Amino acid sequence: MATVRRKAGSAGARLRVRAKQAARNLGRFRAGVHAESLQALRERVTVLEQEVQECRQLNLRLAELTDVVQELLLPMAQRDEERLSMLLEKYSRGL
Amino acid sequence: MPPPADLASDVSGVRVDDEGIRAHSVDEVVLDVLFDGRRIWSFWLQRDGESTGGSYVVAWPAALRRYLNGTTRLQLVEHVTGFVAYDAEVRLGQGDARIAVVNERGLPLGIDKSLRLAQTFDTRSAEHVAPLLDSIEEVLTALRKAGIEAFPAYGTLLGAVRGGRLIGHDSDADIGYVSDFTHPVDVVRESFRLQRALADMGYSIQRYSGAAFKVDVLEADGSVRGLDVFGGFLADGNLHLMGEIRAPFEREWVFPLGTTTLEGRELPAPANTDAFLTATYGPSWRVPDPAYQFGTPPSTARRLNGWFRGTRVQREAWDRTYSRLPSEPPDIRPSRFARWVRRQEGRVPARVVDIGCGTATDDLWFARRGASVLGLDYALRGSEPVAELAAAEGVDLTFRDMNLSELRSTLAQGARVAQQPGPRVVTARHIADATDRVGRAHLWRACDMMLRGGGRLYVEVLTDRGTDDSFAREQHLRPVPMRRVLRELEGRGATVLSHRQTRARPHSRAGHRIGRLVVEWRR
Repeated sequence: MATVRRKAGSAGARLRVRAKQAARNLGRFRAGVHAESLQALRERVTVLEQEVQECRQLNLRLAELTDVVQELLLPMAQRDEERLSMLLEKYSRGL
Repeated sequence: MPPPADLASDVSGVRVDDEGIRAHSVDEVVLDVLFDGRRIWSFWLQRDGESTGGSYVVAWPAALRRYLNGTTRLQLVEHVTGFVAYDAEVRLGQGDARIAVVNERGLPLGIDKSLRLAQTFDTRSAEHVAPLLDSIEEVLTALRKAGIEAFPAYGTLLGAVRGGRLIGHDSDADIGYVSDFTHPVDVVRESFRLQRALADMGYSIQRYSGAAFKVDVLEADGSVRGLDVFGGFLADGNLHLMGEIRAPFEREWVFPLGTTTLEGRELPAPANTDAFLTATYGPSWRVPDPAYQFGTPPSTARRLNGWFRGTRVQREAWDRTYSRLPSEPPDIRPSRFARWVRRQEGRVPARVVDIGCGTATDDLWFARRGASVLGLDYALRGSEPVAELAAAEGVDLTFRDMNLSELRSTLAQGARVAQQPGPRVVTARHIADATDRVGRAHLWRACDMMLRGGGRLYVEVLTDRGTDDSFAREQHLRPVPMRRVLRELEGRGATVLSHRQTRARPHSRAGHRIGRLVVEWRR
């Protein structure tokens, strides 16, 4: 009986040690996953910030283009209205 | 003998030497440095100093160092309280003469908020300040004619509201306006329109960004003064004003404009100057701070950068370089690149367009040999001596402003060159490597347009800076790998006829490497 109790006791101790090891491993695994996902998120935020800046930079380009088109269209419009009407009509048909 | 210090001052342990000023203070303090009774510089002891041995050491500003050779009565004064923390005769460097911080005309200079030497207002008499006030009024009137209700902004507004005067340690005047538009695209377009309107009125304009520019005003004594005009707009409950502000704001705090008084003159001002100055400088704007530095939040800088900036790639560096050019006429010797172009063409080309012409010595060399040459650059100051020579000699050499960072400028110059039919040679020597990715895209587009009538593009570019070579730094260049140049050109529809790279020092890997390309657009 005493032997059975001793064996059961040592099995319990081994189980506790293994459980602790398993818990530690799980903790390490979780921390690793957490660190990896945090790092991945950081990298993603950097990329997103760059993409947002690229989008913002389109404002200036669009303004420049609109400005050029407007300033060049105006004299064209004022000089040869008939031809311009034809061009605009043709352009519109192609949209 | 220790210098007499005001007992009420918190500043102690002051020592002055060739490196800078050492002092101790438990609390942060703003200090003015006076030479022979005149303010030269101001700093925050703890912010600007390096903590060492219980004290803070603030190094002399680089701009001031070349003057620090001689003797002076140096006073260190707490700016807000006026307490004198230090007052002693000192010797700096090896000289015996009195230290004189003056410009070449003998006019007194001081360190401004950007740590540059400038003629600050505290050195100017009323008669010297009057032309500046005239200029402010003139530009405000011109902007009003163009449909914009502008007002003094930044330090100019601060000085007016705080004491009716220009701030002594300031050196320039700023103007701002708040657009009726709420989208960055429209704000930029309005700024372009304003630039055109002012140019039509005869003003020379230099653009800083999509929403800010400098207007040059000719003053009565013939000198030219640049006034900065900062555009702003309201969106999402925030005021955005170039170049530092994004803060929660109400339209009613700007319009209808009120008035403020500056040096006895009534000028327009935002309706709520307290709210405006709080948005600009924070709630402590009433406390004078000659060493103020903007703590612009990164999110604000990102927004303003993304929407409006990026149009002045390396411009300051080139302006600095050209401001140091000798005044005598340059030696007109062709570069190896120019001789290479002539060899490739088999003769001096009849028409040359030089993008990024710099000092333009190659351009004059071509023009003297009968070519019709157009030099394009965004810093035309560099080609002024050659332009004078060309005019005196009557050769066919003209210059125009072209900024590769501005699409408008690229398209306009590309179209103007393309207007004249026929083939030509376009040269781009150290320009693809002097700009950024956007500038290069615009460069290739301009070349594509300019060569619609045929001809070739000759490119020289730094492809490797080397390991022990100052060429890239001296020429403000960033290397661009040859494969990237090839990819960009071919992506733009060009045919690269030849390309090769050579080392500056043929038997050493330490030197920089140069790439040369001959390019055509086959249509």
